[in-house]
Amino acid sequence: MKLTHSSSSSASAIGITVNNLYKKLGPNQALDNVSMNFSAGLMHGLIGPEGAGKTTLLRTLIKLLTQDRGTICYTENQREVTYEEIRETVAYMPQQQSLYGDLSIDEHLEFFRELYSIPSEQYNHKREDLLRITRLDKFVDRPASKLSGGMYKKLGLMCSLLRSPRVLLLDEPTNGVDPISRREFWELLYRLSDQKILIIIATAYLDEAERCAQVHLLESGKFLAEGVPRELLQQEGLDNFDALFIARSKAQEVLHRT
Amino acid sequence: MKISRAFAIAEKEVFHVMRDPFTLAMALLLPMMMVMIFGFAIEFNVKNIHLALYDGDKTAASRKVAETLASSHYFIISPTDSPQKAIAQIFAEKDRAALIINRNFEYNLFAGQGAHAQLVLDGSDNSTVGSIIGYFSTIQKLSYEKITKEKIPYMINLKTRFLYNPELNSRWFIVPGLMVVVIAVLSTLLTSLTIAREYENGSMELLLSTPIRPIEIILGKLAPYVILGFGSVTFVYIMARGFFEVPFRGSHLVFYGGCFIFLTTCLAQGLLISTTIRKQQMSMQVAMTTALLPSILLSGFIFPVESMPLFFRILTAILPARWFMEVSRDVFLKGSGVYELRYSFFVLSVICILMVVASIKKFKRDVEA
Repeated sequence: MKLTHSSSSSASAIGITVNNLYKKLGPNQALDNVSMNFSAGLMHGLIGPEGAGKTTLLRTLIKLLTQDRGTICYTENQREVTYEEIRETVAYMPQQQSLYGDLSIDEHLEFFRELYSIPSEQYNHKREDLLRITRLDKFVDRPASKLSGGMYKKLGLMCSLLRSPRVLLLDEPTNGVDPISRREFWELLYRLSDQKILIIIATAYLDEAERCAQVHLLESGKFLAEGVPRELLQQEGLDNFDALFIARSKAQEVLHRT
Repeated sequence: MKISRAFAIAEKEVFHVMRDPFTLAMALLLPMMMVMIFGFAIEFNVKNIHLALYDGDKTAASRKVAETLASSHYFIISPTDSPQKAIAQIFAEKDRAALIINRNFEYNLFAGQGAHAQLVLDGSDNSTVGSIIGYFSTIQKLSYEKITKEKIPYMINLKTRFLYNPELNSRWFIVPGLMVVVIAVLSTLLTSLTIAREYENGSMELLLSTPIRPIEIILGKLAPYVILGFGSVTFVYIMARGFFEVPFRGSHLVFYGGCFIFLTTCLAQGLLISTTIRKQQMSMQVAMTTALLPSILLSGFIFPVESMPLFFRILTAILPARWFMEVSRDVFLKGSGVYELRYSFFVLSVICILMVVASIKKFKRDVEA
C-alpha cells in the first residue's frame, strides 16, 4: 500500500538551508545564531527539549514569522528559488490544536480540498487512500472536537497530505499520543519518505530521532549538532541521544562560563 | 485570487454560525429585540400624563379649561380640593403636574385684567415637562376660544404644520433610525469574533500556511455577514412599513445602496478590531463600545446632533452611524435622493474606504505578535 502522488511537475526535490538565524520573541531569544541544512528529499528530525526554538524555526521557515537576522535559502532541484515559488507545495501541521472542533472529518477534508484547489477525481482517490491508511474511514462524520488525541493528529496530517506536498513540516505530531497511535503515525510517515519529500519533524521525543535520515539538535535557541543519527552518535561515542543531549548541553554551559 | 478559496472560507463560516448557538441567537434575536425595545417600549409622545387639578373658581370659565384638558387625551385628571393637596400629589409621585386655578379666574378674565392659573411641574423628568408645556400652549389657546367663543383677536395666529411627520409620531422618527443601530451592532459584533476565533482556535496558523491569500480570507469571512446584514435590514424594513406604518417615500435603490456602504464600513470595523485584538472576549467588548454607544448616543438616533456641544458635533463627523442616520431617515420620510444626500453619501463612502483599507492592511500573513 502506497500513497499515490500526482508526480510530473511536482516531483521536484526541495531543500532548505538556514544561515545564522536570529529571532527574538518578546524578551526571549528564541533563535540564537542557528545554521542548519535540510537537504532535499530526506526525512529530518528537529530535536530538542521544550522551549528549544523548534516551533519558532519551523514558523520562520514558512514565513509565519520573520527572522530578525540571517537568511533562509530554498532550492528546487539545486536551483535557488524564492519561498513564494514553492509556497503552493508546502504543507504544515502546527503543534497546537488547529482544526475546527465543530467540523467533521469529512468537512475538514472538503474544506482543505477547496483551499488547495484539488480536482475532484484526484481528491476522491486521495481521500479514500488517506482514510484507509489512517483507519479513520468509520469516523468521517465525527466532529474534530470528539476525536481522540491520536485521531486528531491523524486528521491534521491528512489535511496536510491532501494535496501531495513536496515539503512537509510537522510540529510535534506525536505529542500526547498513545504509543500505539504513535507507531501508526510513524508508519504513515515512512510511506512518504521514499517519495523524495522533504519532511521536517520537530519532536521532543529523543527516541524518534533515530527514525529520521538526518537529525538537527537544538537547545535554548542554539544549534548543537546535525548529521546522520548513527554517525553522530558514533562520533561522540555515545549510545543514544539522551546522553548526547546531556553531554552537549554541559559542554555549552562550560563554554558559556569561560 | 481564487473565488473558490474565498467561497470555502465563507462556507465554513456559515457552518460555524449555524453550529454556534451564541452567534446564531445573536444574529436572529438582536434585530428583533432592538425593534421591540425601541419600537414599542420607548415612547417619545408622552400621553396619559397624570395631572392634579384644583379648581378654586368653579365657574363656567374654569370648567371649560378642565374640559379642554380632559378632551385633549393627553392628561388623566385627578381633581383635588386644595392647592396644597394638588402639589402634595406631585411630591407623592402620583401626578406629574398640577394645575391650580384660583378664585376670580372668570372675573379677571372678563374684566380684561388677565386671568392667572398656576402650572406646577415635576422638573425631575425633562422630556415629560417639555411635552406638557408644549401641550399647554395649545390648551391655553383652545380654552380661551371656548370660553369667549371668539378667536383670540390680538394674538398672532400661528398655524403649525409639521412637514414629513405631520403628527410628530415618534415611531416614524425612531424606526428608520433603528436601521443604523441594528446594522452597526450586528455587523461589527459578529465580524469582531470571526478572525479572533481563528487565532484563538489556533487554526489561523494552519490557514496561513496554505496557499490562501489574505484577501480571500477577508472576502470569505465577510460574505456571510453581508447577507446576514441585509437580512436584518429587510426585517427592520418590513417591520417599519408593515407594523409601524412608517411611510417610505424615497427610492429603494438609494436606501439599499446606503445600507451597503454602511454595512461594509461596520464589517471592516469589526474585522479591524478582530485582527488587532485576536481575542474573542475582548474583541466583543471593544466592538460593543465602539459600535453600540456611538450609534445610539452620537448618531442623532435619540439626541439631535445639532444640539450637541461643539466637540461632540465635530466628533460625530467621523462616525459613519451619524451619516447613515441621515440617509436612512431622509430616504424614508423625505424621499431624498442621492443628490440631496450627496454630502452624507460622500463622507460615508470616504469613511468606508478608509476602514476597508485599514482592515486589509492590518491583516497580516504571519503570526507575529
